[in-house]
Amino acid sequence: MTSGAASSVSSGERLVADWSPTAGRVLLGLVLAWFGYHELIQPALWTGYVPVLASTSAAAVVLVLAHGWLLLVLAVALIAGIVPRLAGAIAALLLLQIVITLTVTAGLSDLTLRDVGVLGLAVCLTGRGTQHLTL
Amino acid sequence: MSTRNLASTRGLVLLSATAVVGVVLAIHGWGAHERSALPAALVPSASARPSASARPSASARPSASARPSAGPLLRSQSFASYAFRIWPGVPSAPAKAAMTGLSISVHTRGNGLLVAAGVTGQPAQPPKFYAGGARVYVVEASMGDDSNSSDYNLGDDGLVVTDARGRILQ
Repeated sequence: MTSGAASSVSSGERLVADWSPTAGRVLLGLVLAWFGYHELIQPALWTGYVPVLASTSAAAVVLVLAHGWLLLVLAVALIAGIVPRLAGAIAALLLLQIVITLTVTAGLSDLTLRDVGVLGLAVCLTGRGTQHLTL
Repeated sequence: MSTRNLASTRGLVLLSATAVVGVVLAIHGWGAHERSALPAALVPSASARPSASARPSASARPSASARPSAGPLLRSQSFASYAFRIWPGVPSAPAKAAMTGLSISVHTRGNGLLVAAGVTGQPAQPPKFYAGGARVYVVEASMGDDSNSSDYNLGDDGLVVTDARGRILQ
């Protein structure tokens, strides 16, 4: 009985250990896909986040579109499991830039700390781990 | 062809297709930006694009000669779903949330409204008189960029003044 319970816990832990990197990868991919898609179709709503440049400038719109495009490509790479560690590393760099920019421009807040959490997820994906559902 | 090569080829094809889709969406987004009708009255920039917004004038005093003309109905605009009425009456909870980080004052004057709008912590914008003005709305496309008393992204904020029939005064 005790041995059976221990075995069950062990297999449960193994299942979580096996699939959590995959779940994290897909969920981060969904986050990036959502933001990438919306930045691409409605860039004017996101230009306020572009540092230095005026939010109404064409350059700010171009930067948002480029950012959205990169997010979309990274999202597909993560969801489909194409070079997931590299995609995670690039996503981590992007999120680091976002966290730094938000902190410098408006200080620490709930929004900034939420992005720190997403940054942590991206950093976790850069490590070695069992990945399922990959191309 | 080995399984590994096949997988990397499929991955490359998928990423390439995504890149192309991304470019198509970006072209669409650029066009949408050009046609954008989102009010930008609260964006602190001198190079604001033309829009259906009730943009404060550049003069230091309220302009008595300004006679804003009635434009389209607010409810016919794409941003109507995220326009929150702040005057007359007490602003609703969503309207208060939409005003986060913004400083807006409304006063009646004669047959119109004197409206001043700006960003909290920045120099106040000069007020503008809207003849025939009856309602004031704040536009906030996404509440997710507001934190405490700050609005991280003013690109999706705006201000709209309408007449009694709901037509936007420009």
